[in-house]
Amino acid sequence: MDEKLPIVNFGGLSFNLANDISGLLACLIVIGLVLYLSRKPSLRPGKRQNVLEWLIDFVHGIVKQSMPGEEGRKFYGFAFVLFMFIFMANQLGLILEINVGDYNFVKSPTSDPVVTMTLAALVLLMSHYFGIKKWGFGTYLKNYTRPIALLTPINILEEFTNFLTLSLRLYGNIYAGEILLKLIAQFMGSFGVVSFIPGALLEMVWQAFSVFIGSIQAYVFVTLSMVYMSKKLEQE
Amino acid sequence: MDKLVFGAALQTGDMLIYLILFVIMFAIVIKFAYAPVAKIMAKREDKINGDLDYAEDTRKKADDLAAKRNSELKNTRAEATQIVQNAQKSGETQRDQIVSQAQSEAQQLKSNAQKDAEQARVDALASARDDVAQLSIQIASKLISKELNADDQKALIDSYIEGLGDTNGSR
Repeated sequence: MDEKLPIVNFGGLSFNLANDISGLLACLIVIGLVLYLSRKPSLRPGKRQNVLEWLIDFVHGIVKQSMPGEEGRKFYGFAFVLFMFIFMANQLGLILEINVGDYNFVKSPTSDPVVTMTLAALVLLMSHYFGIKKWGFGTYLKNYTRPIALLTPINILEEFTNFLTLSLRLYGNIYAGEILLKLIAQFMGSFGVVSFIPGALLEMVWQAFSVFIGSIQAYVFVTLSMVYMSKKLEQE
Repeated sequence: MDKLVFGAALQTGDMLIYLILFVIMFAIVIKFAYAPVAKIMAKREDKINGDLDYAEDTRKKADDLAAKRNSELKNTRAEATQIVQNAQKSGETQRDQIVSQAQSEAQQLKSNAQKDAEQARVDALASARDDVAQLSIQIASKLISKELNADDQKALIDSYIEGLGDTNGSR
């Protein structure tokens, strides 16, 4: 809420250390988790491999919803990494919140619009890249006039709204969740024991719900990413 | 441009960091975890498909074999019936043959025996006739004490005995 941002300027770029550290942490957790789950894969899966295969199948299912055929195959890995990262990033702020002095160093990286916009930009730039690669630049531009030329401005506008809705939906959900967590924490400390016990209960309920929201938002983000990707790969 | 939506600050460095982080994470996760497991999953899918195909194949083969065996069994049964019938038939003909042969043999034997008996009777009759003739002549020659020529009287005696034989033969 009132925390100052630990901002460092370096080479003309400004770095918010809270984002960077928690992003790195989320990356490390994802890498550690999947490496732990994928040791010695075999045709007869063990417990760990089963978990990983379930996750992979789940993400494959998301991709298949919008790209059922062979075409979606090259996005399986990307969708998997994206899903795991956003999921971990969403949950990170619920389990970990590190403040040093007034500065906040670890939180959900997805509660910052810069991060979600980076991810959305990555996805949408990839969709444009694959669109041009498949159709060639001319056809790619002509696709904006489909189904009729009248819709061209709306089609162009849609590219920006896609970007904004994709990033801000994720940001808004996670940011609101964290704000409410902090508010409930403040409430817990406001009247001693009288507010601590109901506050703790409320906090637990809200944390559980935030886990749910975080999972749903990761699912929604990957689903929409794949929808935008498939839109660029097919002609109406 | 260092302000973004809702007055949140735009940290350009974060974008770069996140891009790099994502690419590194992508590379590591894909290379060391996702690719091997996905490969295993594809391999398992292939194996299951292959096994199912193999099972289907084997079942079809087993069905074919069963059908073939059934038809062969039917053939064999028919053949067995044929063989038994043939055996019966040939046994019957053989039996008929043996019986008829035996009958004809018996006929033969019987007729031979009859012929023999007839012969024996005729022989016995002839020899008896001779003996009677001889005896009659001897008796007669004793009675009349006169030498009778057997040859001269033979025709007479024979005519007697002929008469005797006729009354005897009718019996």
